[in-house]
Amino acid sequence: MKQKAWYFDASSCIGCKTCEMACKDTNDLQVGVRLRRVREYGGGHWIVRNGFEQPAGVFTYFVSTSCMHCQEPPCVNVCPAGAMQKREEDGIVVVDSEKCIGCGYCQWACPYDAPRLDPTTHIMRKCDMCIDLQDRGEKPACVANCPMRCLDFGELEELRAKYGDVDTIMPLPSGDVTKPSFVVTPPKYPSQSAGGRIRDLMEA
Amino acid sequence: EAAPKSLREGKWIPVACWGDCGSKGFNKVYVVDGVITRSGTDDTITDSPTCPQLRSCAKGRAQRNRILAPDRLKYPMKRKHWAPGGGEKELRGRDGWVRISWDEALDILASEIKRVVGKYGNTAVYMPSSATGTGTYTEVERALKLYGGFITDWASCSSGTWTATGPAIGLPRSRSGTGEDLNDGFDLANAQLIVLWASNPAWSRAGKPVYALLQAKKAGARFVVVDPFFHPTAAAMGVSTDDWLPIRPATDHALVLGMMHTLLVEDDPVSSPLVNWEFLHKYTVGFDRDHMPAGADAKENLKDYVLGTYDGQPKSAEWAAEICGVPPERIRALARLIATTQRVTVIMSPAPARVNDAQSWPQVITALGAMTGHFGTPGNCVGSDAGHAWLMEGPELVKGGTWIGRPSDFPDRPRVVNPVRIAVNRNELWDAVLTGKYTAGKDDVRDINIQMMYFGKASRLNQIPGAVKGIQAFRKVEFVASQDMFMTPHCAFSDLVLPITSRWERFGEVSTSFRDSLLWTSQAIEPLFESKDDIWVARELAVRLGVDPDVVQPYSSKQDIFNQVAAARVISDDGTTYEPLVTITQADIDKLGVVGTPQQGRIGFWEFKEKGIYHFPRKPGDKFGHIVLKDFVDDPREHPLASPSGKIEIHCQTLADKIEAVGFSKIRPIPAYTPPTEGYEDTFSDWDKKVKGEYPLQLLNLHVPRRAHSNFDNTRWLQEAFPNLAMMNPLDAAERGLRNGDTVVIRSRHGKVLTRVAIYETIRPGVVGMGQGAWIDWDDELGLDRGGCTNILCGAIPTGEGHQGWNSCNVQVEKWTGKPLQPDHKRPLRVIEG
Repeated sequence: MKQKAWYFDASSCIGCKTCEMACKDTNDLQVGVRLRRVREYGGGHWIVRNGFEQPAGVFTYFVSTSCMHCQEPPCVNVCPAGAMQKREEDGIVVVDSEKCIGCGYCQWACPYDAPRLDPTTHIMRKCDMCIDLQDRGEKPACVANCPMRCLDFGELEELRAKYGDVDTIMPLPSGDVTKPSFVVTPPKYPSQSAGGRIRDLMEA
Repeated sequence: EAAPKSLREGKWIPVACWGDCGSKGFNKVYVVDGVITRSGTDDTITDSPTCPQLRSCAKGRAQRNRILAPDRLKYPMKRKHWAPGGGEKELRGRDGWVRISWDEALDILASEIKRVVGKYGNTAVYMPSSATGTGTYTEVERALKLYGGFITDWASCSSGTWTATGPAIGLPRSRSGTGEDLNDGFDLANAQLIVLWASNPAWSRAGKPVYALLQAKKAGARFVVVDPFFHPTAAAMGVSTDDWLPIRPATDHALVLGMMHTLLVEDDPVSSPLVNWEFLHKYTVGFDRDHMPAGADAKENLKDYVLGTYDGQPKSAEWAAEICGVPPERIRALARLIATTQRVTVIMSPAPARVNDAQSWPQVITALGAMTGHFGTPGNCVGSDAGHAWLMEGPELVKGGTWIGRPSDFPDRPRVVNPVRIAVNRNELWDAVLTGKYTAGKDDVRDINIQMMYFGKASRLNQIPGAVKGIQAFRKVEFVASQDMFMTPHCAFSDLVLPITSRWERFGEVSTSFRDSLLWTSQAIEPLFESKDDIWVARELAVRLGVDPDVVQPYSSKQDIFNQVAAARVISDDGTTYEPLVTITQADIDKLGVVGTPQQGRIGFWEFKEKGIYHFPRKPGDKFGHIVLKDFVDDPREHPLASPSGKIEIHCQTLADKIEAVGFSKIRPIPAYTPPTEGYEDTFSDWDKKVKGEYPLQLLNLHVPRRAHSNFDNTRWLQEAFPNLAMMNPLDAAERGLRNGDTVVIRSRHGKVLTRVAIYETIRPGVVGMGQGAWIDWDDELGLDRGGCTNILCGAIPTGEGHQGWNSCNVQVEKWTGKPLQPDHKRPLRVIEG
């Protein structure tokens, strides 16, 4: 089965959010609707040693996510209107705006918080991997604009062959939950076992 | 069913991005039936690490949301309680607005200029210098110069003390003219060790520069970070926090002296060679008593100062540690690491030079580079980025327009001289308005009477220190006029506000990006509402003032842009001379209806206009590289520096004399440590007993991805993505009972602001990190700023060369017990219907 997927390089993302802005622009999204989102995740603490404050296990990195076009998408399963659909031909999950009743179950069910309610139209918006751009031979806007070339897209199997098969990074849920179509390169520091938290004020 | 608008047939148009952010990406917009439906970035070349597409940053991609925003100024407006002479001046900043016609607005502007000049003379009229920031042109200045001139201001802002100190100690004037210089971007991959010293290009130079650093990381360079903030660049370069030296702001000079002391006392020519004596003796003067410049006191040398030979105070790692907060063993380790690594690139931003009394900083860091011999060879350089060429140093490979597209600077327009030769240091500007005095030089304080301020560009109220006094100054003078795209803080405190077009609504511009691409951007849409461009305003003003509008702007916009395109140059294959970039035929000239001469270049006129970008093709090892001081190091006799000794002056009498002549403070000819006014030492009421004072924390004034200085602060998408906040370490937050997101009041000796706190382990204790450029939202009742503008907190303190010392400011933070602040994107935009 064909499955389109994302690649993200967390080891070189600078958290600049150009992907977020490119998504906003291409999809004409108003404030409150963030279909791609960059969050900062970090942790560690400070100790005083010999009179000097010193960092101990302090780390930070960024994670850029949108809809993961999961192989087991809970949003599709919970949608009472049949609006949320997974496309046969490429596995991209799309919302049918004609059928959507704006109940928000999909957002509630999604562990990535990917579908968002448009406050004007009261229907759900979500990342569709810029299928209209892809149809015209363009890349998804987030990929084409990343200044650090941290984002890529393509067939899941091809991305795995190229970048490995890690599909989980804190603060995202384990890939076992929904089988996201996602490959990630984790940062060099730290180990993911280190306790951390999402730093962004907006997300706290 | 009709296709969605974004997919309907339209046209891509290259458009400008002009915020003076220190970087420059490429933007284009898709226009369908005169409406912009979406935007895009560079796809004119195949992307590769050596020849990357010039991708824009978050700001570039949010530019549409900024330009097409509901808070654009729509009509000319006058303040409700304005009257000739000022009216109720104390209402400035909180008065209502009345919509007026352009004719009435221009008549008011001209008549107030005439009235003030008639009553007080041209020296009563102030206009800011430097055109950076607002994106407005300088034609109104030309009109006023023709009408007898105006007083202006001066200071080194972006480059801090590099402006005067760099050239004085002999460093060549790079493209910025300040002595700041680094190697070519490709050379980063030659470094074994890269020290990011107060340098976070992920925030301050969005886009291409940090991608160049990534190539060095992939080539295997080790990174070390010296910074109060473990920043996103550090994270993306894979730096362990074990390689982070969390230094206190404004203490870099002390750290360097501690490193030098380590090298001197541990140096052994046989067992542990740490000091490159050969380099010091061949290329510098003033390091030790045997190598002094002619006429200098032999005791006044850096080595004896560092060792404490005459003052009894060795500037040891322990001495430095007490000041800079980095433990002595880590100071020694960094010194040894730099000294024993063959190829070291030390990259710093000018932030440590934007500190009060920091005039010797460029000298001491250059001396460290010389002491370790890291100059003149591949992989080696120690310096500051040249203002706006970050990591892309070297001679321009393409030339044309300017880096922020400022046609007024173009040399083919006749220069108009300002008959008034008075300039006030920006640190004294508001005081000069309020007290009528300014410093003209050593022991030379003069009278001045500023009664009118005209902001055709530059957000002075928001963007220079001492903004509380600035507000008082705005409310004192007889007339204030501003022209801009939005109700910026200086517009809000004006009597007359003129709506100006964005550069997407103008004929076009030519500007360089870094050293290797030239952009030609064009008009995408018609002017919004009643907005007009600055050139039209200046010509209309000229007519009303009775001066010649054709001298103000001699060409049509079409001819002006054509001239710039025709004048664009590209470096020849010989790597030294330049030749025309653009091919122009007689048919092109006839089609355009302009005056010109055909020429042969590398890209066709229409191809360049359509693409909007010319990339100079580079490859590693080509002849267009650049190594700082290479000619001098290769042959110092043949290529002496411009200093009196022809060498790097670690003892520099020129600099000491220069600083004394400015009239604010004095320094020694060697880079001795001067505790900065309102630096770390001033957070104590009793330094010796270590008793903290009323303002125990240090403000770190950051460039943040949300803004380019004050530009973009009002852009909704960016407000949502990058909320204004004050970053604090968990230790400081816990001491004050603060939780993430709490509204806090931050106080300094100069003013108070409200903002929200964000608790970050990545900022060191004792420091409050805030983004500069947030718009002042002044609350008269509370006497504080709800916008979180750092210039409310920073004092305007003239020291040294009259630079602006944003990173020396002491503050205190408390939880705000009043109504909490709303997130930025939920606060109302300044939409004024008039």
